[in-house]
Formats: sequence, structure tokens, C-alpha cells
Amino acid sequence: MSRSPVRGCRDLHSTRRAFLGRATEVVPVPADALDGLDAFAKSGGLTRRNLLERGVGLWIGTAALAGLSTRSVLEAATAQAQSAPDATILVSLYLEGGNDGLNTLVPLADPLYKTLRGRVGIAPGSTLALPGIAEFGWHPSLSGLKTLYDQGKVAVLPSVDFADADQSHFNSRAYWQRGIVGQSFETAGWLGRTLDVVGTPDNPLQGISVNYSPDPVLTSHRAATATVYDPSNFNFYIGDVWNSDGFTAAYRNASSGATASEGLAAARRTYANAFRVRDQLKPLRVDDQHPLPPVPVAYPDTDLGKALQNLARMLGAGFGTRVAALSMGGYDTHDDQAGDHAELLTDLGDSLLAWQADLAARGLSARVLTMVWSEFGRRPEDNDSGGTDHGAGGLMMVVGDRANGGIRSEFPGLAQLDEDDNLRVTTEFRTVYATLLESWLGVEAARVLPKIDGARLPLVK
Amino acid sequence: MPRNQDRAKIERLMWRAGFGGRPAQIAAMTKAGVPATVETLLRPRGRALKGPAPRIDGAPLDPVNTYGHDVLWWLDRAVRGEHPLVERMTFNWHDHFATSNDGVGDTRLMLKQYWTLRGGALGKFRDLARAITKDRAMQLFLSLANSEKGEPNENFARELLELFTLGVNNGYTEKDVREAARALTGFTFDYDTKSFGYDPERHDDGLKRIMGRTGRFKPLDVVDIAIGHKAHAPFICSKLWSYFSPRPCPPKLLRSLAKTYRAAGTDVKPVLREILNHKLFYAGLAEPDMVKSPFVYTAGLLRLTNTWVEDDSWTYRLDQMGQVPFHPPNVSGWEGGTAWLSTSSIRARFDAASAVINDTIEDGSIKATQTPAQAIASAMAATGHPRIGARTANALRRYAVQSVAGKTEDYEVEHYFPERQRVLRHLLLAGPDAQVC
Repeated sequence: MSRSPVRGCRDLHSTRRAFLGRATEVVPVPADALDGLDAFAKSGGLTRRNLLERGVGLWIGTAALAGLSTRSVLEAATAQAQSAPDATILVSLYLEGGNDGLNTLVPLADPLYKTLRGRVGIAPGSTLALPGIAEFGWHPSLSGLKTLYDQGKVAVLPSVDFADADQSHFNSRAYWQRGIVGQSFETAGWLGRTLDVVGTPDNPLQGISVNYSPDPVLTSHRAATATVYDPSNFNFYIGDVWNSDGFTAAYRNASSGATASEGLAAARRTYANAFRVRDQLKPLRVDDQHPLPPVPVAYPDTDLGKALQNLARMLGAGFGTRVAALSMGGYDTHDDQAGDHAELLTDLGDSLLAWQADLAARGLSARVLTMVWSEFGRRPEDNDSGGTDHGAGGLMMVVGDRANGGIRSEFPGLAQLDEDDNLRVTTEFRTVYATLLESWLGVEAARVLPKIDGARLPLVK
Repeated sequence: MPRNQDRAKIERLMWRAGFGGRPAQIAAMTKAGVPATVETLLRPRGRALKGPAPRIDGAPLDPVNTYGHDVLWWLDRAVRGEHPLVERMTFNWHDHFATSNDGVGDTRLMLKQYWTLRGGALGKFRDLARAITKDRAMQLFLSLANSEKGEPNENFARELLELFTLGVNNGYTEKDVREAARALTGFTFDYDTKSFGYDPERHDDGLKRIMGRTGRFKPLDVVDIAIGHKAHAPFICSKLWSYFSPRPCPPKLLRSLAKTYRAAGTDVKPVLREILNHKLFYAGLAEPDMVKSPFVYTAGLLRLTNTWVEDDSWTYRLDQMGQVPFHPPNVSGWEGGTAWLSTSSIRARFDAASAVINDTIEDGSIKATQTPAQAIASAMAATGHPRIGARTANALRRYAVQSVAGKTEDYEVEHYFPERQRVLRHLLLAGPDAQVC
């Protein structure tokens, strides 16, 4: 292995992105809810897919029994979908740089762990226990996450990736973001494509990048999405202009009306959407008269804590959000890993704990699942710099009240590694995506993930 | 209104084949007409840059060592450039042969690549493709450096065929990619001394069979084989057309462009001449359909207002708009088109106009006697008389009246008349019409 860590990581240090998101609105339905409706679906000229996409709940069966026409059922279903107050929400939380899964969920029972991790290994006695599972222990900094796990709210997948990864940040990240492995000219992210399939064209807040630039997983072809880091101050300013209603009206006037020009139409629509988002977020502005409302459990004073708090406020306001994305940097721990990783995991666990409490207080915790992922895990054998190099088989987690808590995929063990001395991949990340699309968002996986196979996992309860 | 139509054509030409015309140039070019202006663009003379060199915090730009100054450096060249088509084609080639410093990690090499691209911007594609194959930033970016006999790296070979010369699966096979990669072996890079070279010992000099031809091909032979393929001329002409028009290139026009290209021995100049004089290039002047890229929008904003690159905010503004020179998202370049516009990028475009207008109009500088029509005329003059559609014209008129209605007290006039001017200019510079060309 002549791969130089410095070289391998150049692509990581990119802060620039040209991926642009555009926006939409979607409604989820547990796929199971439609079981048994096949006969109705066929008779009405509807397919299971139509129903899934329109986000029709169980009530559609009732409507069918009541003898409503196909058309009126569909119209009602669409209306319900667009206003569904109980739609499920999926949040993508990306740990940027390649989180060390082996030091996050430590394989205590594997005798090779101590050997391979002679320099940065976690002392078994310091790990936090998982009830009823002796093989693993949580990193000592993950008390926040342990609390959630013990409540049955964390589904853990210990070795998720794709086959034959080349350990390039750039490639792996792009594949995970697109939900497509290998070379592709697909420019949209998998959650953006989800909105393309089931969204509406006029609600940017259905897909929120909690950041300053659009998250690549939310890049869409048609659907509108919003990029809002902080709803407290999403506004338009012109220096020394006091009457913002005046210029807003002028911009809205200039942005109104139909045109045959696709480019001009896009410019008008985008301005209209942006001003709409500005108005929608107005109740969330924070100033002297309107301080930030209290939360049940304090968020850590970190970028992640703030971002999750900002997102909770937006979800709580009921904008019809279906997907959201945020990221947390710093996981490319090639050197001096011990202290850095502990700090990152403390932040992660405590932020998630505060986030779940906040969602619960808002009555949202049964509607939101948070998918935590990273572009790869790290090499089992640690390096000479007190760190770890790029590996395969990363740790994924699905967090939420409806997550099927427990260890939900196979850990391959350290005895047999792959040809690059990395953890063998037992679960493809696309299987996790497909499961969440169908079991959580109510979207047929094949509409979003090309060539997806039939494998699914028990991640949602 | 033939006069207006002529001006609209020149404006389109300068936006799409440059970075927007400076107000003073447009009138003269309109008088000269389209064909003569196209010739001037194709054969520029005189100084390449005009105007004061940028200074940030009192010091000249340091593109190699200071974060973001590479971006400002290129932006400044677009703003001060007097050879707009050369500068614009350099940027187009940057998108075509997309190389990102995120992968290269050496700003000096990126700046050198700029000169590689600029040197070949209006020349023969064959020369440019050969130069880019030897370009060091490219060699690092697509793993051509240290690709050697026995274990050739296919990265560059694949993109050369797929993105640079032929188009995806357009006349070549996986086997051709592997064989081309063998022919492209031998370039070297020493990570310790940072020196590049070519080592015949590491070149695979065996027989290769690439797209039906057999021989002991050397690296640059692959370029010649690719551009000698019959699919190359239509591919590259179609790509060139796409840089100047969002409309599909009609088959008949594409055949004509390809014929021109071949007859000129891959010289792009006559192809550009044909495109820039074509009537389809000037279609839809009343409602333009090409979304300005962030880089073009920003450079144009500065040019229209006679502003220079004077602070480093433009680096993050371009980032927030989604286009940072020297940092394309991947080897296929920027997606472009309507994908440029999102709720966040439009805010960044809005803020860019605020930055240009900020502190340019003092409170108390406009009298209460200024009529709405005068206010609009004044704003038009200050923003280079940009083209606007009926919707924007109507919005300006309504705002010009309503914004000062009832503002008669001295203290109100002192602020709100200048405020009206600020907003009118802002809408002209950043409104929906300003996003397209």
C-alpha cells in the first residue's frame, strides 16, 4: 500500500461545491399500509406505485369501500398528501471525512481489535455497555447516544459501504450522496430525486439543507428545495433601505407571470420561492422581543447542536418538510485521533440526545428518523501518527422513536479482512436507502435508486 | 424598432461571448454591427486588461499564497478584460477540461493551467488537447502522472474519450479505454521533489489497438486518434454550441459546424464565427433563455457598474452562488442552466448587487422634484442600461411611484428619494431579468 494519506485526503478539504439544489413536497406512507389493496388498485387503474407516490394512508381503503370514484379518491389523496400534517420526515446527517466505526462501536469480543489498534484502541473497560450485548461497547464519549440506544431508539449497522471502494473521499462521498455507485452523470442526490418523484413544485421547505450551500443529497432535477442554516435570520437586505416591503413587492412584481423562456421562468420562480421561504420563516425570527424559545435538553454549543436546533424549529413550524440534510466535519482522523474523535463523538451523541428530546417536546419524535452516515470507515490497523487511514465498511445509524433499536446488520469481524486490509462490507448502503424509502418515506425504491435489488432491512418499527 | 433590435443583439453577444458589454462599448458596437463585432472578438488587439490592478486591504493580489485570491485573480481578468471572447473561451475550456484544485492541491499549477487554456482558447483544438494532456495540474488531477507500464491508470484515458473528445460510449469501447491507458503511460511525478517528467522506461511501448488502429502508440498519439474519429467533430461542435445557446443545436446546423471544424483542421475560430453570426444564437431577444453562470453574472455586475475587484468577499459570494473558478465540482464541469438557481444561490446573487450598490448613494443627494420617470432613467444610466422585459419595467414604474408617495417632509425626502434610487438600481442589477441573457 503506497497510498499517501496526504494525497488521499486532498479532495476532502474541499469546502466548495457547485452542486445546487432546487426545491418540492412529498407525503410518505408506510408501504405496508397498502397491502391488500391490490384488487382495488387494479380495478381503479391505479398502481401500487401511484398510491405510494401520492402518499395515501390507510384511509384510502375506506374511501374505496365507500364507493368513491377513482378520480375523487385520487384528488382527495393528493390533497391529503400535500397537507399531511403527519407525514414522515427523514434527516440525513453526514459525518464528513470517514468516521472510525471501530472506535465508535468497539468490537470488544474480537481478539484482533487489541492487536490492530495497539495505538489508538479504546480500553474495553472504558466502553459503555449495550444491554444484553457483550460483543460491543460504545466509545466512552457516547453517553448521549447510549441513552438513546438503551431506550431502543438507535438501529446500528456496523459495516455498511459498497463493494470495491477505492477509498477516495471524493468518489465515495459522491456515490453515497447520489445513491449510485460508480461513474455516473447523475447530478441529483438520492433525496433530491425522492422529491422529484413525490414532491410538489412550489414548497421549497419540503427539502431543507441546514447549511449555507445546498447539501448534495438534496440536489434535485425539478423539485424546489430550500437552503437555510438559521431560520432566525433568513432575510433579504439592501443597505440603507428601510422599507423592505417596498422592494419585496417590486421583486415579486418583476417575478410574476408566465414566460416561454425556461431560464427566465426559473429566475422568476426562484425569486418567488425565496421570498416565500423568507415569509414562511418570519415567525421563527429571533430578536430582542422574540428570544430563542427554550428547549427541554440543552443542545451542545456546537455547529451541529445549533444546526439540529435550527432544524427542529423549522420542523416544528409545520412547513411540510419531508427530507432534510446536514453535515458535521472533522472525521478524517489520520493523526492524533484519540482526543479529536472523543470530542466529535461527545458532540454527536449529546446533540442527538438534545435533538430527540426537542422533537419529542414538539410532538414530532414519532415522525422523524435521522440517518447518520459517513463515506467510509477507517482501516482496522492504526497508523504511525496516532490515527487511522481510510478504510471501508462504515458505521451507519438510524435514530428515532420509530427506529428498530438494536444491531441490525452483520459485523464481519477482524479475522478476515478484504484485499486492502479493510473491514469486509456486509451491507450495501443502498439497501439502507431502499429500506428507508419504502418503509419510512413511502416511495418505491426503484424510482429513486437505479437497479436496486430486493434486499431490505428491519430498520423501522 | 430596428435600432433597438441591433442593440439587443450586441448585448446578447457581449453577455454570451464575454462578460457583458461595458456601457461605453455597446453604442459603438451597435453602430459597427454584429459581423464586425464578432470579428473584433475573434481577433482582439491591444492591451488584454484595462483599469486599475486590484488591491485587497492595500496590497496586490497574492493568488498563490492567499486563500481565495486565485478566484479574485480570475474574476479580475474577466472584469478588466478587453479581449472578452478569449477570456470567456478560457473559462469555457476550464469547464470542458474541468480540473479542480481540490484534487490537484497546488495553486501554482492551477494558474499555469489557466495559461495553457488561454493560450489555446481560440486556436486548434488538437493543439489544446495535446497541451492539456501534458498539463501538470491535469496530470495530477486525473492520475496520469505515474501511470506506468504494467499498471496503467485508466482515469485520464477514460475522460479523454468520454468527456474531452468523443462523448460517453460514442465510438469507443472499454477495451479502447484500457488500450489508450497503456499508450498514455510514462508520465512521472516525484512527490518529494515535485518534479514532472516522462520516463520511456515506464512507458508501455508494446502494440496497442485503439479504435480500430494498431501501433506502438505514444501518449499524444491517443489524442490524435480520438480527434481523428468521425464522432469527434459533431461532439465538440455540439459542446461549443452549448456554451453559447441553451437551445438544442439543430442537426443541419451541427453538420455545418462539424464541416467547418474539419475543414479548418480543428481550428475553433471559424466555428465560433458561424455560431456567433447564426440567427438561432439571437433567438428570443425579448425573453432571453440562458441563465448567466455565477461567474458571468458577477463579472458582468462589476462591469455594468464600472466597479473593480476591491474586496475579497467575491470569493465566498461565488461559492454561495455555486461556481468557484479553479474548483469545478467534478471532471464533467458545472451542471449549469437552470440548475444555477436555488433559494440560497439567488440570495447570494441578490446580496452581490447589494454589495455593489452599498454606499454609492448618499442620503440627501436627491431632490424631491425628481419624478418617477427621472428616477428610473437615472437608475438605468447607473447600471449600464440593462435589457429589461415588460414585467420588470412595470415593477420599476409602480415602485418608483409608490415608494415615495406621501413622503414630502424634508427628513423623508432626504432618505426615501435615495432609497428609491437604491432599490431601482438593485432590481435592474439583480432582478429576474438580470439573471438571463
